[in-house]
Amino acid sequence: MSDFLLQTVFNASYAASYMALIAVGLVLIFGVMGVINFAHGELYMAGAYAVVFFYAGLGLPFLAAVALGLVFVGCLGMLMELVLFRPLRTNPLGGLIASIGFLLMLQTIAVLGFGLRNQNVPPVSQGRITIGGAFLTYERLYVIVATVVLLTALWLFLRRSKFGWALRACAQDREAAALQGISINQTARYAMFIGAGLAGVAGAMTAPLVAPSPFMGHTVIVTAFIIIIVGGIGSLEGAVVAAILYAFVHTFVTTFYDGVIANIVGLLLMLAVLVVKPHGLFGVRERA
Amino acid sequence: MLLDVRDVHVHYHKVAALKGVSLQVPSGGIVTIIGANGAGKSTTLRSISGLVRPSSGEIHFEGERIDHLPAEQIVARGIAHVPEGRRVFPDLSVEENLRIGAFLRSDKAQIERDIERIFQRFPRLKERRTQWARTLSGGEQQMVAIGRALMSGPKLLLLDEPSMGLSPVMVQEISRIVADIVETGVPVVLVEQNAGLALRLASYAYVLEIGSVAVEGPAAELKTNDHVRRAYLGA
Repeated sequence: MSDFLLQTVFNASYAASYMALIAVGLVLIFGVMGVINFAHGELYMAGAYAVVFFYAGLGLPFLAAVALGLVFVGCLGMLMELVLFRPLRTNPLGGLIASIGFLLMLQTIAVLGFGLRNQNVPPVSQGRITIGGAFLTYERLYVIVATVVLLTALWLFLRRSKFGWALRACAQDREAAALQGISINQTARYAMFIGAGLAGVAGAMTAPLVAPSPFMGHTVIVTAFIIIIVGGIGSLEGAVVAAILYAFVHTFVTTFYDGVIANIVGLLLMLAVLVVKPHGLFGVRERA
Repeated sequence: MLLDVRDVHVHYHKVAALKGVSLQVPSGGIVTIIGANGAGKSTTLRSISGLVRPSSGEIHFEGERIDHLPAEQIVARGIAHVPEGRRVFPDLSVEENLRIGAFLRSDKAQIERDIERIFQRFPRLKERRTQWARTLSGGEQQMVAIGRALMSGPKLLLLDEPSMGLSPVMVQEISRIVADIVETGVPVVLVEQNAGLALRLASYAYVLEIGSVAVEGPAAELKTNDHVRRAYLGA
């Protein structure tokens, strides 16, 4: 039984990791630009397809394919900022609707380029860590390590660097930030690159584990929305905590009952948090 | 003239907020803009710092036209704006708030000296340097907002209602600080609803009424102007 528990903890840690990457990116984009990026799940998908193309297709090393995935999806994010979100900045719903359109375009491009079928990505490593009867494959471990490294780097960037402060300042009060000489356009571009890039890495790192399909973004975006609502919209720390909370609850319920019940419990968790703390676990105020 | 605002009109959608405001700021001393709520005082400052774009008219700073520039380039030219309501960054520490005021500067050593100078001027902020700005009192937040603006090394400081919502003691403190800043050679444009305070501090004053300048003149003269006394000084 304890092996079974440990195994579930491993599984949940893996799920928490890639969901945290996705949710943190979504929060960062919302914080800095005030836009709910519905295409975030498709940015995750694009990251997975970068690995399909560069690693499974061209035979580049896996890490190189992941790095290319980060840059490629980050650039997709900057493109979205430039052509969608910037012209629609004064329109509160415009960015959201434009991102839905972009989501459909990305799906269509994936279908046209790679077909409807799930992609087969060759395993990166067959290795695993075994503790008692429980095991953690290296592939999953890499996802956990990548998440810890990237989120730590992001945290340091936001706390220690001038541009990190600018990003936080912008998220807190865009107009006051402009008065300090911070360019809103430049900050939004950075936020989109980082936010999209994190989703891209999540997709790239998990590609060998999930058999990518053009529609894989759907499942993660719903979960990501639940996570950022539970964490408190606009709070990066909240997104990480909520990702861990959600992944553990979801994985445990899936393991001990079943997946449908787990989805219901996940939504109930969100409702319960909102009843007790309407702004989410770490949400302190409404955005101005 | 350091700053020259010429016949500026501003519209919010179709509604006119400024209907031809002209004012001049010399390179020393305090110029104040007084007036009732909604007279266009804040809008005047916002058009100078580039937060709103005039629909017509011109704004010149140091002889160059700036009314087409985005806000971040206007800061770069040397105009710092302390907005109405202070607008400190609530989830940045006091020190981060101050340092972000120096966002456009790269002279690291001088930035450190300026931070120390600001902590000398506002010892309370030094005690609270690692606290989040949201935890500060209104007066302390006003100090952060003023300190943040000074960190840009401005040639002109725009202050929007620095006394708003503060206790009488704190209002005195803030007026002392403003006088201090002017002493160091940075001219100030002071927007105030507290006309008595503003006219005491300033050397020249403009009275805005529904979007245009109703009266202007040396502050000492306006203090004795019948209209100003009746409408703004409660005499």
